[in-house]
Amino acid sequence: MASAAAEAADQKVVVHVRNTGDAPVLKQTKFKISGREKFLKVIEFLRRQLHQDTLFVYINSAFSPNPDELVIDLYNNFAIDGKLVVNYALSAAWG
Amino acid sequence: MAPSLWDGTLSIDDFNASAKALMTKWREIDVEDSLPDWTWKPCCTMGVASQVEGFLALEGVFHTGAGSQTEDNNNLSDERTVEHDTWVQSSSDSVHVYDFHIAYSFSYKVPLLYFQGHQAGGQLLTIDEIKKDLPAHSLNVLSESKWTFITREEHPHLSRPWFTLHPCGTSDWMKLLLGKSGEKDLCLQYLSTWLSVVGQAVGLKIPLKLHCNS
Repeated sequence: MASAAAEAADQKVVVHVRNTGDAPVLKQTKFKISGREKFLKVIEFLRRQLHQDTLFVYINSAFSPNPDELVIDLYNNFAIDGKLVVNYALSAAWG
Repeated sequence: MAPSLWDGTLSIDDFNASAKALMTKWREIDVEDSLPDWTWKPCCTMGVASQVEGFLALEGVFHTGAGSQTEDNNNLSDERTVEHDTWVQSSSDSVHVYDFHIAYSFSYKVPLLYFQGHQAGGQLLTIDEIKKDLPAHSLNVLSESKWTFITREEHPHLSRPWFTLHPCGTSDWMKLLLGKSGEKDLCLQYLSTWLSVVGQAVGLKIPLKLHCNS
């Protein structure tokens, strides 16, 4: 059981990043990432690509995931058509 | 309210409905033992509980994170081998207990988070002590925006100063989060969606299940 769960977590999942508001579209909007990674990895990817430290990142018009969440947990619960859709805007929540 | 025209705010009635929905869902999902339940505290005027006005409370949340780890160089100077050892304080003054309240802001028409921390003995934590418990990202924001992030304000129902998160951006990011969702559950979903953002700011881990449809 444990090894099966570990294997499942190790699977690569497809993340689809989508711009909202005045955020620019990225050249590459779909990429694969290991399910074992934390959501922070996705946020950092977006920060690097957009050269922007403060981003507002959220999922499926529902909530903003904690950076500590595992990608596989988000994927298993919120993926649509086999993709985890992650929205990003340039605004910051605070400050 | 039509989603496309929605401005990210909610009425007091929507707030109350959303508060009930949050309490119910929080109880339904299998929240970790470390987290208590949200309760509704009606406001009292002249000793009579209000039918409409009140606030949500999540009280007695223990914080035992990396913040309690202390570098100890004071008492071990004779023992050269353990000079730079770190240890986790086990004394009761390192246990931080937090209370979180959600009240409705009539001026911003959004929920407002109030919070305070205290030691096991009851002594209130200062902002410097609270800072040690905050996520790294919040410390960055705090150093850049002293007056528009965490400030100390009078609690609207307790008339004592509590720490609060500045609400001026709330309706904007709530519009982003829920502006495209279906009209039907928008009000009911408001507080759990809102919590996903404010929880990150103050280091309150919100269970992922709160956002799952079931």
